[in-house]
Amino acid sequence: MADTVKLLVNGVEVEVEAGKNLIDAIGAVGIEIPHLCYHPALGADGNCRMCLVGIEDGRPPLVPACKTPAIAGMKVLLDAEHIKKIQHDVMEFELINHPTDCPVCDQAGECKLQDYYMSYDGRESRMTVPQVVKGKKMDFGCGVVHDQERCVLCGRCVRFCRQITKTGELGIINRSDQARVNIFPGQPLHNRYAQNVVDLCPVGAMTSADFRFKQRVWFLKKAPGICHGCARGCNITIDHNREKYQDDLIYRLRPRHNPLINGYFICDDGRMSYREENGNRLIEARHGRVARSTDEAMIAVTSEFAAAEKIAFILSPDSSLEQLVAVQALADQLGAGVTGYSDGYIKEGDGDDYLIRDDKSANRAGLGLLGIDCSRDNFNSAVSQASLVVNCNNDLGLSLGADELTALFAGRLLISFASHQRDLDAMAEIVIPIASWSEYAGSIVNCQGILQTFPKALSKNHHPEELRTMIGRLGSPLPSLADCRSRLGELLGIPGDFAMIPAEGLQLNESEAADVNP
Amino acid sequence: MEVKILSAKFAIKDAHKLRVAKKHGAYATLEKLFAMPPAEVIDEVKRSGLRGRGGAGFPAGVKWGFLPKDTGKPIYLAVNSDESEPATFKDRYILVKDPHMLLEGIIICSYAIGSHDTYIYIRGEYTSQVKALQAAIDEAYNAGYLGEKIAGQDYRIDVTVHRGAGAYVCGEETALLESIEGKKGQPRAKPPFPAVSGLYGCPTIINNVQSIASLPFIIANGADAYRAYGTEKSSGTHLFGISGHVTRPGMYELPLGLPLLEVIDKVAGGVWKKRKLKGIIPGGSSTPVLLPEEAETVTLDYESMAEHKTMFGSGGIVVLDETVDIVALVKNLIDFYHHESCGQCTPCREGLGWMLKIIKKILRGEGEMADIDLLRELCDNIEMKTVCVLSAACTMPVRSYLDKFRPEFEAYIAKAGSSAPAVQQE
Repeated sequence: MADTVKLLVNGVEVEVEAGKNLIDAIGAVGIEIPHLCYHPALGADGNCRMCLVGIEDGRPPLVPACKTPAIAGMKVLLDAEHIKKIQHDVMEFELINHPTDCPVCDQAGECKLQDYYMSYDGRESRMTVPQVVKGKKMDFGCGVVHDQERCVLCGRCVRFCRQITKTGELGIINRSDQARVNIFPGQPLHNRYAQNVVDLCPVGAMTSADFRFKQRVWFLKKAPGICHGCARGCNITIDHNREKYQDDLIYRLRPRHNPLINGYFICDDGRMSYREENGNRLIEARHGRVARSTDEAMIAVTSEFAAAEKIAFILSPDSSLEQLVAVQALADQLGAGVTGYSDGYIKEGDGDDYLIRDDKSANRAGLGLLGIDCSRDNFNSAVSQASLVVNCNNDLGLSLGADELTALFAGRLLISFASHQRDLDAMAEIVIPIASWSEYAGSIVNCQGILQTFPKALSKNHHPEELRTMIGRLGSPLPSLADCRSRLGELLGIPGDFAMIPAEGLQLNESEAADVNP
Repeated sequence: MEVKILSAKFAIKDAHKLRVAKKHGAYATLEKLFAMPPAEVIDEVKRSGLRGRGGAGFPAGVKWGFLPKDTGKPIYLAVNSDESEPATFKDRYILVKDPHMLLEGIIICSYAIGSHDTYIYIRGEYTSQVKALQAAIDEAYNAGYLGEKIAGQDYRIDVTVHRGAGAYVCGEETALLESIEGKKGQPRAKPPFPAVSGLYGCPTIINNVQSIASLPFIIANGADAYRAYGTEKSSGTHLFGISGHVTRPGMYELPLGLPLLEVIDKVAGGVWKKRKLKGIIPGGSSTPVLLPEEAETVTLDYESMAEHKTMFGSGGIVVLDETVDIVALVKNLIDFYHHESCGQCTPCREGLGWMLKIIKKILRGEGEMADIDLLRELCDNIEMKTVCVLSAACTMPVRSYLDKFRPEFEAYIAKAGSSAPAVQQE
């Protein structure tokens, strides 16, 4: 715990973290100071003037809270009439040239102006003169659509492109109420994190071309999750909804703050990975050329298992630790081979020095921690010795060509547990749909060796079970989630209930981390 | 009433040329200067009571004293020659008529504060002035008054002229620094103050041209000689630009503390065409207006102006005669400040535009009585809620016009048009 200081807010003593600015320090104990331009990832700018507060110690009558560090004994005045009046006045200025057409605005429901109007203003407009007319629906590139009229010129987007991506595509041009956020002519947004400006925008000025007008945000269910787009394991919020007569679908992924992993942001690739999660799903089980129920297909799998001389399991680097350990336990019991070969998931040179990693799988570190061999040699030997190959949702098509796969599986029985439809499935005798990562609870280890757990977010109409329970049905000695976790706890040297894993994840100790990142 | 301290060489032909300037004493203080320890120079300037001539009137020596010691960073001097306050035309005389006085002042100030690099920020519209200044700088370099070893001393001073691009707000000292750094001219939030973290994050002193140009006299003749002019708290002389409806508009150097009306009558020849005086803008367009009866007790110094709830400002005095349409004047005023708002802070960016639209509406005869009150209230709601004082530079005078000339606004709303007497055709 960081050093704390005691200060007075409206005459009431509160204990807050020292050194932070007043917005963050007092905000952490539940007292809101309204602000538009300040963002913890971008620092204080001080242009919106919403956070002006009084400090009773002889300094100027009003100071921006975003630029004022919390100091012991400070007397902060928030509820005085003159402070409330400033908040009201600034809101009035923000709104005079703002189209107050919230019902047709995509931001409605998660708009700071809307919230603050309700909390701090709430009065009729006194604007009797024409508004400033600005541009609408401007394509800024990278799927960002700008609505100048709604912009409050807080400059968060501009600062993001300067400070975080260091690409500087955005700027504020012109002065006074002619000031506009804009791109340079012919030079749109061009970076792999651009859509974060949509989240950063406190109002409806920066919208996502992909998401805008698809859903009203108050209908969206918001679940915490972890992006499976690469080995970084960025924390996300999964915004999903089941429309009438439709499936439970993800409408967007948004970054969720995790200071250890992704800070406040995610990359655009990860953000758009929800499309793969929604689309091209394997819905129905198949045995031979006949569609079956999952239960029927599982009965067939059980008998194939009983008949098989030698089995090989192919694991996916995207599977959760619980799934991996369940398969591993079953394989040990059956004397089966296990391989995690998945070289095709790695896109050499695609990563950067910020969040994006070369490895497009989420839990390769988990494979490593469980000692699962991912080499090509092991893969070849495991498969060639087996009469029955069980592919546990590994997209082998990424690693091997169709000819290689055909040759490899010739004369062997292939059973596929798959969340998505893949070419490989055509070769399988039995195909069984399983849940994808947003549809089960589990845990993964990211490229930094941080262990994180995530809950189940979506409930699809076809009720896919996750790989772990399927393996349980086949007689895994670790049938339940708790069994898997207590086994993992033994292996990783942590309490097996995983309850002690903090929200931002658990950094596994260095020797374990060293195994992960050789 | 006029004195010749700063303007001593203004009437001399070719005084902007080094040869002529030297003949009349330019750079004569340097020998004395380098014999003094820098701290003594600062003390002398403090004792002289010289106050910043940019408008705020902050004591120059005290400002220099805010510089932190031994930071390991270079100390910069920025000379503010943005002179963009409407009705202000004093620094341009120095730049054109006696630029070597400014350069000598730069040497004095640099030596006192330990600076080796000076930036002169000059407004972009000053095209002939920048040529004159640059020519003087080139001459000074060639003659060894600037450069590696100034005047034979082991002290380097380099002077760089930086031209603005026409933004009023760049006269605000931190916006000026942003502009020099090549960024958009927007004021910075303070603290930190420039003396601690200014240009490129280094300690920086920013002084007005006239403040710097006053230094050679102070060093040459001593603080007491400077204090002999002016009042106890407002010492020295000032270049006053008197414009508007007077018989002899122009730039006059006067000691501080003279009665305002006497100056207008005796120095500027009084209100022109035997018209009646309606009001006086005492120090540039951003200072609250004075009514004739208020002006009777006003003297030209910082204290008297403050007592009369206005400001000394930049010394740009504008005389308004009875024909002035105050509503149109206020529209011009708001128009200017709205156009010049940098657009950073919400109240100024949005509020001044709103005020402009309201005053235009009143001027068109479409206003309502409530609009006057709204204008007045907006002044309060905008003022002092922003990073810099540009918003206040608009709202303070506007409030004074609304309060002191309210019937004229009401006349517009009653659809009677201007209540000022029509200008007679001559």
